[in-house]
Amino acid sequence: MKIIGRTTWAIPGGRIPLNSTGPEPDFTSNEELCILNAGYQDAKVEITVFYESRDPVGPYRITVPAKRTRHVRFNDLIAPEAMPLDTDYACIVDSDVAIVVQFNRRDTSRAENALMGVMAFPVD
Amino acid sequence: MQQEWTNWSGSLRFTPGSTETPSDEEELAQLVCRAASDGRTVRAAGAGHSSSPLVQTEDILVSMERFRGVEHHDPGAREVTVKSGMMLREANRAFLDLGLALENLGDVDLQSLVGAIGTGTHGTGRRFHILSHHLIGGRLVNGRGEIVEFPMERDSEFVLAARVALGALGIFTALRLRLVPAFRLHRREWCAHIEDCLADLDRLIEENRNFDFYWYPRSDEAKLRTLNFPEEDQKTTIPYARCVKEMSGWSGEVIPRQRELRFDEIEFFFPAEAGPRCFREVRKRVKARHRKSVGWRVLYRTIAADNAYLSGAHSRDSVTISLHQNNTLPYDEYFRDIEHIFRDYGGRPHWGKKHYLKAGDLRPLYPMWDRFLELRQRMDPEGVFLNPYLSELLGCGRTAPLHA
Ligand SMILES: Cc1cc2nc3c(=O)[nH]c(=O)nc-3n(C[C@H](O)[C@H](O)[C@H](O)COP(=O)(O)OP(=O)(O)OC[C@H]3O[C@@H](n4cnc5c(N)ncnc54)[C@H](O)[C@@H]3O)c2cc1C
Repeated sequence: MKIIGRTTWAIPGGRIPLNSTGPEPDFTSNEELCILNAGYQDAKVEITVFYESRDPVGPYRITVPAKRTRHVRFNDLIAPEAMPLDTDYACIVDSDVAIVVQFNRRDTSRAENALMGVMAFPVD
Repeated sequence: MQQEWTNWSGSLRFTPGSTETPSDEEELAQLVCRAASDGRTVRAAGAGHSSSPLVQTEDILVSMERFRGVEHHDPGAREVTVKSGMMLREANRAFLDLGLALENLGDVDLQSLVGAIGTGTHGTGRRFHILSHHLIGGRLVNGRGEIVEFPMERDSEFVLAARVALGALGIFTALRLRLVPAFRLHRREWCAHIEDCLADLDRLIEENRNFDFYWYPRSDEAKLRTLNFPEEDQKTTIPYARCVKEMSGWSGEVIPRQRELRFDEIEFFFPAEAGPRCFREVRKRVKARHRKSVGWRVLYRTIAADNAYLSGAHSRDSVTISLHQNNTLPYDEYFRDIEHIFRDYGGRPHWGKKHYLKAGDLRPLYPMWDRFLELRQRMDPEGVFLNPYLSELLGCGRTAPLHA
């Protein structure tokens, strides 16, 4: 059976834009984690967030059911605590089964939206 | 060595001089009597779910955990007298065994019944009062160490003061409550856009037995919660919302929920008609000023007017708005800033949550403020039940010398 993805991913370049233009939530500036679980088992995912000048925070826990994808906005995470906007961060995404992780940024600070999507770095 | 005391959110920590757990009324009365003659102070603590320093003391802290169980039940009158240390969850189960219930509940049932009553704890629903409204009598130990009974029939005025007493009138040992027949509810949770919810707010409040909503400041989405009698709930529809959860059960099983994520909170009561405008202003301010560090929710609830002297809903149908912040994040600047808006709308603080008001700010907000203070003075002339926070809050000092 083909295994799609990895169990540990890293995203070094996070910074959620503070301001937004346009109706929310569609046009809220955000950073988003897109997780694909192409396997046959639910993925228990843990995110640890790193900052420049304080200890890491986490884990933020998410389940991605088997054969499903989940898109999660970093802006909406509140457990264990809300992430600060407009602040540099990085994160490690750990899963108990192989997953594929993409990172998107949507910046609507100005009416001309800026979009960016990159693959996270597969660690293992 | 005395153990440090911490409240639920962890924002309050202190080490009492001693912690006492009396096993009966007599023992408690003697303890207070001794404290009074030694010039010491006594504070009673419930389950530590308040985040204002009501129970903070360097002197004697009393736990009523040994005062448990139902003392008396009058089925005809639907009256129950319970010992004051019962936890709310435990009380709900005991009431259900008797075919009875509180008419409403708040978000959790992990407080003590007496602690919830002590700060005017409430749920949501425009026809329902704060929990204290059930109180129609009981017994307490006053500041002289005397056991005082206060039946509604003989001293209704005192009961109105006792309904929200902040532990300042004495230590309750028994609570006499008039309850309602046990009932089941159907609970649903819905996701919607906040603007759709606000446009439909009057109907949602009117048509549901219990309705409240949480607004999420970083998405402008809202979580709506409706509770209705199961047989009547079929007709409830919210066309613009998505139902994400539902359950049915006895009121005590479905109104309170688990809260594992710790937070600090500030909550104010407003005249019902001012609620929507106040909420809109809070929303604007949070988005303009606090979104960087605030990701958690703002809660909007309704409560019926009552006549307890220090109730937030005293003589006005009310709306409450509360702000939540993760307990690991700073809350002070956020809460202080929004409190200005709360005050502009005539807000009264929830006594058990964070706020920055003092006696001078509070007195004009409560028509029966002075009367409450007179009764406090009568019950506790030497201020045995005062701590520095309460003295400042109520604007009354101790008359006895402080314990050296
Ligand atoms: C997770 C959570 C959810 C909450 N949900 C709600 C909600 O939905 N609605 C709401 O309105 N509030 C809510 N609150 C606030 C809470 O209900 C109040 O702070 C309540 O007072 C806590 O009760 P307690 O048993 O923890 O008492 P404590 O906080 O320990 O004490 C409260 C007061 O009661 C007094 N007291 C305790 N025992 C006695 C006694 N025997 N005699 C006289 N006075 C006594 C104390 O001196 C103090 O003044 C919530 C709090 C938390 C942490």
